Amino acid sequence: MQPLIRVKNVRKIYRMGDERVVALDNISLEIYKGEIVCFLGTSGSGKSTFLNMVAGLEKPTRGEIYIGNIPIHKLNEEQVTLFRQKNIGFIFQAYHLMPMLTAIENVSMPLIFAGMEKKKRIKLAKNALAAVGLQGYENRKPTQMSGGQQQRVGIARALVGIPKIIFADEPTGNLDTHTTKEVMELIVSEVRKHNQTLILVTHDRSIANYADKVVTIQDGNVLKIEEKQKEGDKR
Amino acid sequence: MNFRDLLSLCAKNLMRRKTRTLLAVIGVMVGTCAVVVMLSIGFGMTKSYEEQIQNYGDLHMIELYNYGSGMSYGSPQEQQGVISDKTLASIEKMDGVTAVTPVVTAYMTIGIGKYVTTDEIVGIKPDVLKKFNYGLQEGRYLNNADKDALVFGSYIPQWFYNPQSKNYDSKEQDVITDKIILTADYEYGQKPQSGQTDDNKIEYKQYKMKGVGLLEEQNDQPDYRVYMNISRLEEIIKETQKAEGTKNLVVPGQEKTYERAYVYVGDINDTERLCKELKDLGYQTSSPIDWLASLKETANMIQGILGGIGGISLFVAALSITNTMIMSIYERTREIGVMKVIGANLKDIRRLFLMEAGLIGFIGGVIGVLLSLLLSFLMNTVLRDIISIALSSFGAYGTTISIIPLWLVAAAVVFATAIGVFAGYSPAKRAMNLSALESLRNE
Repeated sequence: MQPLIRVKNVRKIYRMGDERVVALDNISLEIYKGEIVCFLGTSGSGKSTFLNMVAGLEKPTRGEIYIGNIPIHKLNEEQVTLFRQKNIGFIFQAYHLMPMLTAIENVSMPLIFAGMEKKKRIKLAKNALAAVGLQGYENRKPTQMSGGQQQRVGIARALVGIPKIIFADEPTGNLDTHTTKEVMELIVSEVRKHNQTLILVTHDRSIANYADKVVTIQDGNVLKIEEKQKEGDKR
Repeated sequence: MNFRDLLSLCAKNLMRRKTRTLLAVIGVMVGTCAVVVMLSIGFGMTKSYEEQIQNYGDLHMIELYNYGSGMSYGSPQEQQGVISDKTLASIEKMDGVTAVTPVVTAYMTIGIGKYVTTDEIVGIKPDVLKKFNYGLQEGRYLNNADKDALVFGSYIPQWFYNPQSKNYDSKEQDVITDKIILTADYEYGQKPQSGQTDDNKIEYKQYKMKGVGLLEEQNDQPDYRVYMNISRLEEIIKETQKAEGTKNLVVPGQEKTYERAYVYVGDINDTERLCKELKDLGYQTSSPIDWLASLKETANMIQGILGGIGGISLFVAALSITNTMIMSIYERTREIGVMKVIGANLKDIRRLFLMEAGLIGFIGGVIGVLLSLLLSFLMNTVLRDIISIALSSFGAYGTTISIIPLWLVAAAVVFATAIGVFAGYSPAKRAMNLSALESLRNE
């Protein structure tokens, strides 16, 4: 099977004044469609940098990144934005909802940017909110919701366009243990339902338990890759 | 992203920071209002000047003078601006000119019975009087066959008096009569002074004339003039000079020239242009339009100064929009990044911020114009007396102080919006170029 994401010899160096900081040394790996992959590492290990590069938010200093057949490392900002709009959903640690918009408006945002007509997108957004268990919260603003609820809105926003790939950077970093469990189970079940690919980035080992594959990053290199045999449903 | 979604998002963003938005809007409002009100005062002044000029005289008429009259013997270039039948014929062909006539004038006495009056007799080509559009109360205009015929200005009939009466015996005369005597003798009709020798008494001829027309009141020079055929008047002047022994030197073989001429312009919008063209041809011209031009220049200058003052406040408003937008972008750095990450195009981001700035300009412009209309109304009613005192020092005595034409309303709103968009351009570009990573970094 052709891998969905191919990363080849990616290296990233930041310049901090005169000093050169190697964020990623040399990373190569492949991710398949429908996989839930967790990148585990301490702060400063380079895991977030890696995610940013796969999402096209940063360009690698060297190396190649393909999603499907598209060379992400070669696209300009305009193209990469369009690609993200169509193929990628984002879940953030700090939720990043628009404070002046209601839950349903927030969930609609990606569809608004894609230019979808109002009737259609309201319906989709409503369904997405229902899927994360937030019926009746459509017209609440972020300030009127708890952290867990806000993150559910964030998840609904990432999922509403049914993108091929979901990126989640420390999605539970701001949540308590109980809510973390709920949110993670929600993300995983939704992603599995639509056979989407999920890329998780975290420093929390317990989160890694939800993944099919755990990639441990240390000092900009892949330390180890653990594949899990989960209930025998491994492809 | 379609326009309606963009607009609603902009409105929501503006509502988030109500005070700041309001302050920026007030800035634009004050600026727009200042510009519109200042310009409207300028328009009011221009209008009042135009009203005044109507009273100065006939804007259709250009009076032409022979440049350096009597000295035009020499070389051809000094012949420039000479009024002769030939040059007048070419002036008549100029675009916009309806009628041209040379003018000769003389002060002479007119007698009807024992009543006399001494007036300015104006000799013109008989057929032009009709084209001058003066209008007739009675009788008819002059025609080319008329020689000893007079057409009177509207005030003349009231000016007849009896010089032999001890009291000032004045009586309005019916001038449509053929019992008129015209003479250069100012003492005509008076009793011969006793004890004075008549040796040096000049024998002035007396001409029998016929009154054929009485003009309508013009509130201008034609009211106290009497018009007649120019060639007949020239004959009379010649005979008078002969009688007085003051015969003018006539250079033999030289073309006959005139001191003055009237040029009648059909459309007053052409008058200013024709004045200039005639001046370029070397003539000296005089027309009430000269006044209008200089007054208009004053009005334009005042309007420029007033508009400039308004413009400065609008410029300050533009700065405040830019500042507002820059602040807003700093505040929303993360948000902009998130929008980019979840699929906003670069153009969407730019349009979002341009539109927010434009919206501030538009709302400020609309409120500013409404306020200006209110102020204009107040100035024309309640405050009129106070303001007209101030404006009269510029020579404007109009009834309307402030005029806001419809196009100014539209232009002001469009301009305010454009200023907003312009002021928002650089911040919007900055927002567009912000790295999406910022959103993930500053957690």
